[in-house]
Amino acid sequence: MSESDMAIIKPEAMKSYIWLQCADGSIQQVEEEVAMFCPMICREILQTAMGSSKNYAISLPQRVNPAILSLVLDYCRFHQVPGRSNKERKSFDEKFIRIDTKRLCELTSAADSLQLKPLVDLTSRALARMIEGKTPEEIRETFHLPDDLTEEEKLEPLKNANDDLRIRLLNRLYAKKRKELKERQKQKDVEVEAQRKDERSVDEILSFINGDGDSRTAKAAKNKKKNRRRKEQPKYSSRTESDKLPKKEVSTVCVVRNEAGIGYSPSPSRISEMQDSAEDAFAPKVDFEDVDIDDGLDPAMKEELDREVEDFARRLNSDWPERMQEILSLSQESRAVPDFMNGNVSLRRYTGLDGR
Amino acid sequence: MPAGGGWAAMFPDEVWEHVFSFLAADGDRNAVSLVCRGWYHIERRSRRRIFVGNCYAIAPTVAVRRFPNVRVVSIKGKPHFADFNLVPSDWGGHADAWVAAMAEGWPLLEELHLKRMVVTDECLELLARSFKNFRVLALSFCEGVSTAGLAAIAANCRNLRELDLQETVVEENCVHWLSHFPESSTSLVNLSIASLEEDVNIAVLEHLVSRCTNLKTLKLNYAVPLDRLVNLLCRAPQLANLGTGRFTAEYRPELFSKLESAFASCKSMKSLSGICEAVPEYLPAIYPICDGLTSLNLCDAPVNGASLTKLVSRCKNLQRLWVMDVIEDDGLAAVASSCKLLQELRVFPCDPYGADPVSLTEHGLVTVSTGCPMLQSVLYFCRQMTNDALFAVARSSPNLTCFRLCIIDPHTPDYVTLEPLDAGFSAIVESCKDLRRLSVSGLLTNNVFRSIGASADCLEMLSIAFAGDSDAGLHYILSGCKSLRKLEIRDCPFGDKALLANAAKLETMRSLWMSSCFVSLGACRLLAQKMPLLNVEVMDEKKRGGSWDSQPDDCLVEKLYVYRTVAGQRSDTPPCVWTV
Repeated sequence: MSESDMAIIKPEAMKSYIWLQCADGSIQQVEEEVAMFCPMICREILQTAMGSSKNYAISLPQRVNPAILSLVLDYCRFHQVPGRSNKERKSFDEKFIRIDTKRLCELTSAADSLQLKPLVDLTSRALARMIEGKTPEEIRETFHLPDDLTEEEKLEPLKNANDDLRIRLLNRLYAKKRKELKERQKQKDVEVEAQRKDERSVDEILSFINGDGDSRTAKAAKNKKKNRRRKEQPKYSSRTESDKLPKKEVSTVCVVRNEAGIGYSPSPSRISEMQDSAEDAFAPKVDFEDVDIDDGLDPAMKEELDREVEDFARRLNSDWPERMQEILSLSQESRAVPDFMNGNVSLRRYTGLDGR
Repeated sequence: MPAGGGWAAMFPDEVWEHVFSFLAADGDRNAVSLVCRGWYHIERRSRRRIFVGNCYAIAPTVAVRRFPNVRVVSIKGKPHFADFNLVPSDWGGHADAWVAAMAEGWPLLEELHLKRMVVTDECLELLARSFKNFRVLALSFCEGVSTAGLAAIAANCRNLRELDLQETVVEENCVHWLSHFPESSTSLVNLSIASLEEDVNIAVLEHLVSRCTNLKTLKLNYAVPLDRLVNLLCRAPQLANLGTGRFTAEYRPELFSKLESAFASCKSMKSLSGICEAVPEYLPAIYPICDGLTSLNLCDAPVNGASLTKLVSRCKNLQRLWVMDVIEDDGLAAVASSCKLLQELRVFPCDPYGADPVSLTEHGLVTVSTGCPMLQSVLYFCRQMTNDALFAVARSSPNLTCFRLCIIDPHTPDYVTLEPLDAGFSAIVESCKDLRRLSVSGLLTNNVFRSIGASADCLEMLSIAFAGDSDAGLHYILSGCKSLRKLEIRDCPFGDKALLANAAKLETMRSLWMSSCFVSLGACRLLAQKMPLLNVEVMDEKKRGGSWDSQPDDCLVEKLYVYRTVAGQRSDTPPCVWTV
C-alpha cells in the first residue's frame, strides 16, 4: 500500500497519531494523547491543525533531536495516564533522570523549548543536585564549561565585585606574583630535603616562641597578674546576659553593668605592669626582620614580593591620571591585558571612575 | 544569549537560572559564580538573597551593583564581643551608607536584616520612602533609632509583615508611634517590641492585633501587664510565637482563670518567651500550651527551681530551652527525662557576680547530654567543671554543632583534680566532628589549642578568654582549624609571632578580634603592610595623646580587629580607632 492509502485508512484505526518533525528533518509519529501532554505541541495542534499527517508534521524547536524526543515522549506517555499514584510517578521520575550528564542537559534543553514545565523542573533539580557541594573546578569538569575567568576574577566571589581599579590591579599583580612564586616553590619542593626544611622551620618557630628559661619567669609574672584578676568580676558582662535580672532591680543592674564594663580594662598603672611583664616574657626582643615568618614562601622570594607590593602601592598613592598610563603600559606585559581591556567591565566605566 | 561554550550553549540563560534557583546554600551559588564568565553573570543577575557578614568587607555601592535583583539582605556590623562591652561604643557599623546605596539600586527590596549596627531615624525614613514592596525589617542588637523612626516605618510601609526589634535599643520619644499604623494596615505577621522600655498605648496595640488576622508572632515588652495580655491573647488565638510582658501581679483567682483559658484557646502556640519576673502562682496558667511548645525562653523568669521544673516537665516536645541557672541540677534532670527532643539548651547566670550560691554544676550539663540524644547546641554558664564531665558530654553528644561553656571565674581548673581542662575540651573536639562553634573557658594551657587546631575541622567560630600559655597556642589555632572564619580572643598571652607567622590565614577568615593580649603596634604595622586585603584596626579608648603614627613599634595594642575586605580602609573610624 502506498503511504497516501495509509493516510486515508488511518481515521478508522482505534488510535490517532500526531506527526512530529525534528530540525534534522526526521519525522516521528506518536499517539495523540501522548503528544497533547506537551503544551507546545498541544497548542500547535489546536491553533494550526498541523500534525495530522506526515506532510503536515509539526516542526519541533531546534533543541529537540530525535533521540531526546523519544525520551521526552516516554515521559509524556507515562505521565499522561491519569490513574497513576504520586508514588508511582515519583518512582518513575527518579529512574527517568538517571542518565549521563550530557543527555540530562539535552533533555533539560528540550523540555524547556517544548515548555514542558514538570519535566523542566525535574531535570533542573537533578542538575542542581549535581552542582551542590562541588568546587568550581569540579563543576566545570562535570559540564564541560570553559575556564574563562581571569586569575584576578577568581579571587573569592565578592572580591570580583570590586570595581575600584586600584584594588583590582593590585589584586591581579598580587595574585600573579603569588602564582609565579608558588610555581617556583613547587619545583623546589620536589626534593625531600625541601619538605623537611619547611617542617623544621615551623619547629624552630615553636621552640623560639616557647623559649627555655624565659617561659618559667614569664609564667610566674603572668600568674601573679592572674591571681589579682581572679578577684574581679567575671568576664561575661554582656548587656544581654546581665539584663536577665528582674526589672525592679534597675539600679543594681546599672551598677553591675558599669562595673562589668570597667572590670577588665586595666587601669593606667596596670598597663605599665603589663608592659613590663610582656617584656619579660619576650626578653629576646623580637626583631621582625630576623624572625623566620613561615607562610609557605621562601623569605627571599617574599622580600621580592613585599618590595613589589610596596612599590606598586607607592605608585598608586601618587597622582592618578599619570599612573593610569603607566599601569596600562605595565600590564601590557602580562596576559591579563586582553581580559582587562575586554573584560566584563567596559573601559567606559574606568574613565568614568573619577566621577565616583 | 547562550552562556559560555560547550554544553552550556545548549540552552538559554533562563534555564540555568532556573537550575540555580534550586541551590539553597550561598556556598553553592558562590561556587557557581566562579565556574565561567557566563555563569558569573547569570548567577549575579538571579541572586535574590545576600548575606554580608561584615558590613565593611565590601562597599555598599559595589554590592548593589553586582547583584542588581536582590530582594533580601542581611548585614552584620560590630564584632561579637561588642555584646560584652569590649568594643568602643563609637566604633562604627553604620547602616547609613548601606541604606543609601540600597535605596538607589534595589527599589524592589523586600527584607532588611541588620545585626549589631548603628541605624538612625533618617535611615528608617529613607527606607520607608524608597521600597514600595518592603515587608520585613529585623533589627537585632542594633542602636541609634528612636520611636520616631519606627513611626515612619509604620506609617509608610503599606505591606509591612514583620517588625522585629530583638534586643535593639530604641530611644523612646514618640509615645504614640504604634498609632502610625494606618487603619487599613492588616498585613502584620510579626511584631516584636520586647526591647522597648517605655509604655506603649495598649488600646492601640489591641486594635492593631485585632485587625492583623495573620499575626503569628507577638513579642510584648515589660510595660504590658498581665491582665492586658489576656485581652491580646483573646484577640489573637492564632498566635504561634508569644513573648509576654511582665508576668507578675497580685494573685487573683479570676485573673488566673482568664489567663489560663486565654492560653488554652491558643491551639497553635509553639514558642513562648518573656514571662518577665514571673510569680510562681501564675505559672500554671501556661500549662495548657506546654504540650505543643517547641521553644521556651525563661531567661527573664528568675523563679525558684521547683516551679520552673514543674513547668518544663510538661513540655514534652521542647526543642529549644533557654533558662536561668536557678533551675539548678535537679531542674535539668527533669528536663533530661521529659524533653527527649531537646536540641538546644542555654543556661544563663541569674546572679553572675553574686554571693547567692546556686546549685547548678557540671552534673546538670552531663544529665542533659546523656538524656537528650538530639542535643546539638549548648551554651552553659556555671562555676565549676571537671574533665570527666566533659568526657561524658563528648561521649553522649557526638552530634554537637555548638558548644559554649562559660565557667564564670577565669582560670578555674577541674575542681576535683585541680588540673587544667585541656583533656575535657580536647575530648569534645575530637568526638564532635561537626562542631561549628566553640567557646572555651576555665584553666587551659596550649595543649587544648593543639587539639583544637588538629581536630576541629568544621569549626567556624572560636571564642577564647583567659587561656593559653604562649604564642604557640594561637599558632596551633591559626595553622589548623581548616574552616575557621571568626576568632575572638581576650586576655590571653598571645602576641606578634603567631599572628605574623599566620598572616595568610587571616585572609581566609572573616575576622579576628584580640583584646588585652600581647600584640605590638609594630606587628600590626607589618601585618597591614604584608596583607593589603586586610584591614588592621587598633583601638585604644584612653587615647594616649598624639597621633597613632608617632607611637613606637613596641607599644602594646589594647584592642585589635583584623578583617578581610575589598573595600579598602573605611572612612568612618572614630578617633579611638586607627586603621594601620
